[in-house]
Amino acid sequence: MERVLKINKLTKKFGRLCAVNELELEVMKGQVFGILGPNGSGKTTTLGMLMGVILPTSGDYSWMGEPPTHTIRRKIGAVLEHPIFYPYLSGQKNLELMAIIKQAPVENIPKVLDLVGLTDRKEDKYKNYSLGMKQRLAIATALVNDPIVLILDEPTNGLDPMGIAQIRDIIKKIALSGKTIILASHLLDEVEKICTHFAILMKGNKVYDGAMGDISRSEEVVTITAPQENVGTYLEKFKGTISVQKDDHNYLVKLKPGFSSDELNRFLVENGVFVSQLSTKKKSLEKQFLEILAENK
Amino acid sequence: MRYLLNIELKKMIHYRTFWVVSGLYFFLLIIWSASGMEFLKWLAGFFDVFGQRININRVPIYHFPDIWQNLFWGAGFLKMGLAIMVVISVTNEYSYRTIRQNIIDGLSRENFILSKILANLLWSLVSVVIVFFIALIAGLIYSPQYEFPYSLTGLDFLFTYFLEIFSFLSFSLMISMLIKRSGLTIILLIHSYLIELIIKANVDNYFPSIIPYFPLESISSLVPFPYRRYVFQEIRDYITVESVVLALIWIVVFNYLAYLTLKKRDI
Repeated sequence: MERVLKINKLTKKFGRLCAVNELELEVMKGQVFGILGPNGSGKTTTLGMLMGVILPTSGDYSWMGEPPTHTIRRKIGAVLEHPIFYPYLSGQKNLELMAIIKQAPVENIPKVLDLVGLTDRKEDKYKNYSLGMKQRLAIATALVNDPIVLILDEPTNGLDPMGIAQIRDIIKKIALSGKTIILASHLLDEVEKICTHFAILMKGNKVYDGAMGDISRSEEVVTITAPQENVGTYLEKFKGTISVQKDDHNYLVKLKPGFSSDELNRFLVENGVFVSQLSTKKKSLEKQFLEILAENK
Repeated sequence: MRYLLNIELKKMIHYRTFWVVSGLYFFLLIIWSASGMEFLKWLAGFFDVFGQRININRVPIYHFPDIWQNLFWGAGFLKMGLAIMVVISVTNEYSYRTIRQNIIDGLSRENFILSKILANLLWSLVSVVIVFFIALIAGLIYSPQYEFPYSLTGLDFLFTYFLEIFSFLSFSLMISMLIKRSGLTIILLIHSYLIELIIKANVDNYFPSIIPYFPLESISSLVPFPYRRYVFQEIRDYITVESVVLALIWIVVFNYLAYLTLKKRDI
């Protein structure tokens, strides 16, 4: 797989405060990479360094295998923190200006406006846009150069539920088109719904880094409801079981890594036990996130 | 080059404040340069009381070749208006944070400063062209006779006037980059002459020889004050190499410092 981003011991100090500490990270082509972390954990500082606006104290990074220059930045679409535009220009004019800077074809503008659903309002001045429209315009500018990588920093910050859903749909649409996306967020739910890989930052340190599937597969909890009395004993006999808990009429079976609910079901059927309900519950990212944070306190 | 200038123009051309400030400047530049004779007439009115009218036609301020230095010197007065526009265009980038987005979008820090410098060159050039044509037209109207190329002596002040405007705009670019806030920058810019005057007055007692090298002092000496010649005093009616070299050095210093502040800064 092609490597899009490689970060090598990237460090940023603001006076005595260490905002990002020897960060190492790799992002491959096609990944939707989430950068998680509480407020002030160094997410935006990291992205700022990657986009050349914040000067690293030490360490380096490369995009698409090349050392960072302003020309490589034209192949990246990025929105950091909040949308930034010339308030006195219309959405259309702002996009035209960005297209000139990025040396992107002007023909892309109607396409991206359409994608974010701003075609009707393109002639309005930016300062009259609602927050949701501003965020969407920001995504549109990031896409105007048909970038290889899209960087989004808290794209749903401060939006209402409808706005959040709109942005999420847009991101999913973009991800489906095969673009690599780097998404910084403190909204776990958002990352869980969109990302394929993620890293967790805390006080400038990376505390976790891996694929979304990995972390979800690590422990599976299966909820089983069965009319038979002796289900419990069979469940405990299954070789993948860690523990069985009874909760009203349901059994909560915690499975060892590598075992899945269908294997458990086959085992039960082979033993003549038929269940009326079987559902798996993956541990939510939020729970794991809090656990990881607690471990690193 | 075209690319960078294009970016800067795109930012300004749909910005109403730009049109108001620059419109005011260029309008004033035209009126100011063209109304010298009217001003003299008005001035002559005061002397009427003594029973003797001054014949303003005998004060040849709008005659070739005097007109070149006279008008280029006078037009230098208005450069503050243009400088304020430069301050607005630079400090806006900080207050809207668009400088950050410009860099993110793929401008280098050098590109950003260069686009501002190119715009400064353009505004200086437009000023020169305007004053040149007004001087030419006014000279043709008011001069009793013309004799080319003699009438064009002193036209070389066109070049130093250009340096004067451009170096002052470079100076405003530098302090805008340093201060980042429009209000404070404009106040400092307006007071810069006063501040330099105070420093000069203090330095005068100890090292009077360094005074000509002060930045604003050297900018103003590019086109020397011409009107003393009408009260029969010596004036410098030629360009000195030192003044040009000094101005060029300051231009490099101002623009380089502007670049340096941006290069060293997180934005």
